[in-house]
Amino acid sequence: MSVKIESLTKIFAKQIEEGTLTALDNINLEIKDGEFVSLLGASGCGKSTLLRIIAGLEIPTQGAALFNGERIEGTSPKRGLVFQEHTLFAWLTVRQNIEFAAKATKRLNSRTEISNWLEVAGLTEFADNYPHQLSGGMRQRAALVRALAVSPEVLLLDEPLGALDSFTRMHLQDELIRLWKGRGNTMVMVTHDIDEAIYLSQRIVVMSPRPGRIAKILEVRMSYPRNRAVGDFTALRTQILKLMDFAQDVQEEYTI
Amino acid sequence: MKNNISAWELKQIEAKPQTLKSKLFDWLVSFMPILMALLVLLQYKLVPNKKVLISFKVYEPTNLYAWFIGVFLAAFAGLFIASLFSKKVFGKWRNAAPLLTAVFLLLLAYDFATLKARLLHATYFPAIDDILNALIAERAQLWINSRHSLILLFTGYFSGVIAGLFCGILSGYIKKVRYWVMPLIKVLGPIPANTWLPIILVLPFISLFQGAVFIIALGVWYPVTMTTMNGVINIPMHNYEAAKTFGVGKLSMIYKVAIPASSPFIFQGLTQGMSIACTVLLIAEMMGVEAGVGWYINWQRGYADFAKVYAAIVILCVTFFAVNTMLNAIKNRVLRWQEDKV
Repeated sequence: MSVKIESLTKIFAKQIEEGTLTALDNINLEIKDGEFVSLLGASGCGKSTLLRIIAGLEIPTQGAALFNGERIEGTSPKRGLVFQEHTLFAWLTVRQNIEFAAKATKRLNSRTEISNWLEVAGLTEFADNYPHQLSGGMRQRAALVRALAVSPEVLLLDEPLGALDSFTRMHLQDELIRLWKGRGNTMVMVTHDIDEAIYLSQRIVVMSPRPGRIAKILEVRMSYPRNRAVGDFTALRTQILKLMDFAQDVQEEYTI
Repeated sequence: MKNNISAWELKQIEAKPQTLKSKLFDWLVSFMPILMALLVLLQYKLVPNKKVLISFKVYEPTNLYAWFIGVFLAAFAGLFIASLFSKKVFGKWRNAAPLLTAVFLLLLAYDFATLKARLLHATYFPAIDDILNALIAERAQLWINSRHSLILLFTGYFSGVIAGLFCGILSGYIKKVRYWVMPLIKVLGPIPANTWLPIILVLPFISLFQGAVFIIALGVWYPVTMTTMNGVINIPMHNYEAAKTFGVGKLSMIYKVAIPASSPFIFQGLTQGMSIACTVLLIAEMMGVEAGVGWYINWQRGYADFAKVYAAIVILCVTFFAVNTMLNAIKNRVLRWQEDKV
């Protein structure tokens, strides 16, 4: 498995006025098999667009996105996708959601296999509940497991934890690592949370907005599970903040 | 204190302690229906009826109404006694009592205004006893005609629903279809379906029944198409995209995602369509179709037999109520996945 982005540019037509908007400008990126990569940046940096192009939901204007050496055309179960919201089908129970994915991809997941997935998500008790009866964290766990149940080679996560409170979020970050370690999928995650990117990923693609460009690709060389309080972690955070123009040298003012 | 208490028990625990006064008031209110039903019965049996001078289609009172009230009286007494022993029964009975009191007060007033004082025109406002007798005497006719009405209603309704779903889903899902269907909706939609009755009913190549089916279907088609189309258009994009990543094709997307996701909107159309269908049905039957409850009402009105007219209206009430209750039950079952029902 490999994802390769070659001098990719994406231009959108503006909805209201005539004119266009360059969302991604000359992006080059290679994601290796089994890697956990984060696309990090402020809103408008095109990180979600890049993810959607890899998923096959958007077509690049110029350049190419390759998956296993082939140009990406349309969606594929090999590239699973989890969104921030509306991830589950509201009219199906948790179990039915997983079954939907299994049936649609023509994988004959047995009942026990689906029960196993429910157990992985810790949702065995809630299997026959509808999404609105679950908490936000439970919904995202179910969505993750639904995407994983069809054994994708790469899992694309579009701010999957963005709508959750910070405690649920930290809890699910650990779950994500556990799932990734356990199955060895390639993970590509879009996030605007610097700590989340550092905590989870092996490489962080820091992007800058208008037009969306890759500012820098950083390697995170800490072993899992990571500690949010150690010096390496905070040093990396400071480095990223500087890259994103948020960490001006502090001008301390003294008043007497 | 035990932890697993029911919601009802909780309510009992947290309720304010009742004063003697409020307790007495509650008992009084829950006794009122019995008193009122008794009054209705006593008035009917004991107060002499006022004779009418012109007694066209005015019948002699029978004991049927007395029995009718008597049954209610017995039921109320039974419930009242049961509510002395069970707090749950008491809660429900206390809740229903004011409404029942009001209904029987109305009956009392109506009996007074018709039989006892003849304040209302005796021909147009028959006694309830007459209506009950008409229901029994005319049961064969009423049965035949309601069956005809129901068959017409459902044939028209389901034809309209099928056409509406077809148009709504396709025009919501495919822009090109919307291009062709939208003008049709915009032109035909605002006109009440029964406007077409005079034309449809004289067309030589279709029967009256087929014509009426068409008109009802047309009335149902419009709201079903509109709500379904809007429902399909407003489905969150992510639903389609998630399904796409699982390899769901464009055609199976319709029944796997578009229909279930827009079902709350579809049911809105189905409910609106049903009330339109009922209206159009009655108009069609009164204007041309030569059978059905609407036709029967018109027919009996011709003889100024208003007891039978009211009897038919009672049947209509019961039938439409049953149909709508059924539709609602189906809706609640299908949409049980919804948080807030539309």
